[in-house]
Amino acid sequence: MKHTLINTLPLSPSVSRRTTLKWFAAVMAAAPLAACGESETGLSWATPRPLEGPGYGTDPDMLDPSYPWPLTLSPEELATTAALVDLILPADGDASAASAVGVPDFINEWVSAPYPGQQADRGLILPGLAWLDSECLARGGQRFAHAAPEAKAAILEDIAWRDRVKPGLEKPAEFFRKVRSLTLGAYFTSAEGWDYLGYLGNTPSTGDYAGPTPEALAHLKGVLDTMGLKMPEGPL
Amino acid sequence: METYDAVIVGSGAGGGMAAYVLTKAGAKVLMLEAGRDYSPDEAPMLSFARDAPLRGVGTPDKNFGYYDATVDGGWQVPGEPYTVSEGSEFIWWRSRMLGGRTNHWARNSFRMGPYDFKPYSRDGLGVDWPISYDDIAPWYDRTEKLVGVYGANLGMENHPDSGPGALQPAPKMRVWELFMKAGGEEIGIPVVPARRAILTKKIDERDPCYWASPCGRGCGIGAAFQTTTSLIPWARATGKLSVETGAMVYEVMLDASGKASGVRYIDKASGAHREAKGRVVILAASTGETARILLNSQPNGRSEGLANSSGQVGRNLMDTVGSNVSAYVPALEGRPIYNESGAHGLHAYIPFWLYQEQAAGKLNFPRGYHVEIGGGFREPGMGGYDGLDGYGGDLRKQVKQRYGASLGFTQRGEMIPNDKSYCEIDGDAKDKYGIPVLKFSFGWSDHELNQVTQFQSAMRELIDQLGGEVTSSEKPASELISTGGEIIHEVGTARMGTAASNSVTDKFNRTWDVDNLYLVDGSVFCSKAHKNPTLTILALSMRASEHIADRMRMGEL
Repeated sequence: MKHTLINTLPLSPSVSRRTTLKWFAAVMAAAPLAACGESETGLSWATPRPLEGPGYGTDPDMLDPSYPWPLTLSPEELATTAALVDLILPADGDASAASAVGVPDFINEWVSAPYPGQQADRGLILPGLAWLDSECLARGGQRFAHAAPEAKAAILEDIAWRDRVKPGLEKPAEFFRKVRSLTLGAYFTSAEGWDYLGYLGNTPSTGDYAGPTPEALAHLKGVLDTMGLKMPEGPL
Repeated sequence: METYDAVIVGSGAGGGMAAYVLTKAGAKVLMLEAGRDYSPDEAPMLSFARDAPLRGVGTPDKNFGYYDATVDGGWQVPGEPYTVSEGSEFIWWRSRMLGGRTNHWARNSFRMGPYDFKPYSRDGLGVDWPISYDDIAPWYDRTEKLVGVYGANLGMENHPDSGPGALQPAPKMRVWELFMKAGGEEIGIPVVPARRAILTKKIDERDPCYWASPCGRGCGIGAAFQTTTSLIPWARATGKLSVETGAMVYEVMLDASGKASGVRYIDKASGAHREAKGRVVILAASTGETARILLNSQPNGRSEGLANSSGQVGRNLMDTVGSNVSAYVPALEGRPIYNESGAHGLHAYIPFWLYQEQAAGKLNFPRGYHVEIGGGFREPGMGGYDGLDGYGGDLRKQVKQRYGASLGFTQRGEMIPNDKSYCEIDGDAKDKYGIPVLKFSFGWSDHELNQVTQFQSAMRELIDQLGGEVTSSEKPASELISTGGEIIHEVGTARMGTAASNSVTDKFNRTWDVDNLYLVDGSVFCSKAHKNPTLTILALSMRASEHIADRMRMGEL
């Protein structure tokens, strides 16, 4: 079953741009702001104060894992996240879109975790999500989650490529790289991600370690031949 | 109060071996462990990272990840601080659990060689050990047979072969290791079978490796050596071992004649101060904690601490030299997939290969290093995506194309003891039990920095040979070298030696000043060879414990 998280969220695509802008302004006003920077580029970038609270402790139950922190992304932020991660990893043939394997929920778990590393990422991701919406609206479209595919792509084209970041958008580009890394990590640690890569590990077997398959050795020999290197002999 | 034949402080490699040897010899032993009871039955061996919080990545609560075996420990232990002197950097890994750090170590088990025991004689730096390789060789054989070590005898300089039957067969090399070996052979860098304390054949009740589960999670089947699946249960089976957990030892007691009579500790559950009495006291609390207990034991108000007439307790602190190089190798792209987990760590490694060049004066650093190599179709994790760019369907394909094509080279090198590096009691800070804490001072010298520079350049040559591109940054050695303590190989704070004037213990780990007080952890090391210390701690503890048992039989103790 494939579905995107966005379809289950209450925010209607028919909400007017004016209403959304008002909502957006209210959220920004209510957010605890620790810093407001980048004004010289006209970028609205409000860094939230880090969350505090208990982690899972130094002796958690490893056989029945859980975490104690509450999830903190709003439905709107989750919708924006889902739209973004599905641009990073869209459905492709048999492969699911990132949101279909729970990536937005994972990013929610991540930015809600009360650890310094995760809170540093929260400080990048929350303003980044808000920026996607404001940028999309400023360019005359919908909020990011409801924008036309071309509108979303146009924004990503400005921030997603290492050597082609639009001047002034360095901070959103940093945000994008962070979400891309989390998205890839969350996707490839999922069951589907393992299957996609063909990861066969953490599966017990008896007897001696089988080692490389004949096919893998033949391939290696081919590679070494083209490089002018000899296939190793002796105790291997 | 019950009096034991021996009171052992600590349940890791040194303490576990002492408990095993002494109970087997018939002694009645009490083992005190500061942490909680632990069994590898708790180990989440086949759990998936995706089921752990944050996909199992390291956090301040679990520094090496959610599933790491370490309980109540890491770079910081809640309520048990340590301090670092101004201008120094040092970090101190502790665990508070039965079995100590043996529950999560990498199991790399390289013997120290003839040069390693006589380093001063070879290059005039540091000090020689009071024992030679030949003295310890039989104990290495016995230790390897007992704990189970895989590897191969290769006849390499200063990398001794084991005695007949001591080693188990090493697992087959994987494609990326063979590839590295092929490239290394062209430029004289050897890639050879590694040695690790992991069973590849069943012995006693322990099963061989089943080629799954990262060893750091703990090994409930007993294949990867830890004291909680071997030495401690075996000692318990004699009926001679009592284990008390949650017992934070802070002082060695002396009797009127100046002999050790036992230890004082805090029962963590109740907060009560207690005493344990024994004919022999054996400290195996770890290099840092053993020094701390000695320095905090101040019989008759002696401010220098116990067994410290040499002034060497806390001095000569060493850790392994570490630095890394990583590479991306297009030639490994798109190769056929198979299960490359294997024993989850080294099947092969690069031993130090430049002793002849060093002897000929061609290197600008003394001593050596080895290289722990990484690669393969590893379990996908949260990191390793920085080389990618853009977005969209192609990104997923790129990850697959790059899967298994990254290599890592980790330097593990020898540090020379220096007078910048030591630990002492902090005059102000105390832990939550009121015990004064350790203050560390640490600094590298040019010996280590030059070694890092040479390693970085040698690995770049190898990567070039493999057609790879270096993905780690090129920086000065001072920025690439590990932080003191980071490699968790700290040793040397109560070194053994030839005389009471220059050392804390004799060659049998017995303190010069107190005849029935023994130190059987890394604190007694005279040098920090590039070989990982645990195997040597085990062998020295076995030797010292048999020495104790002999003295007990002779009525000396």
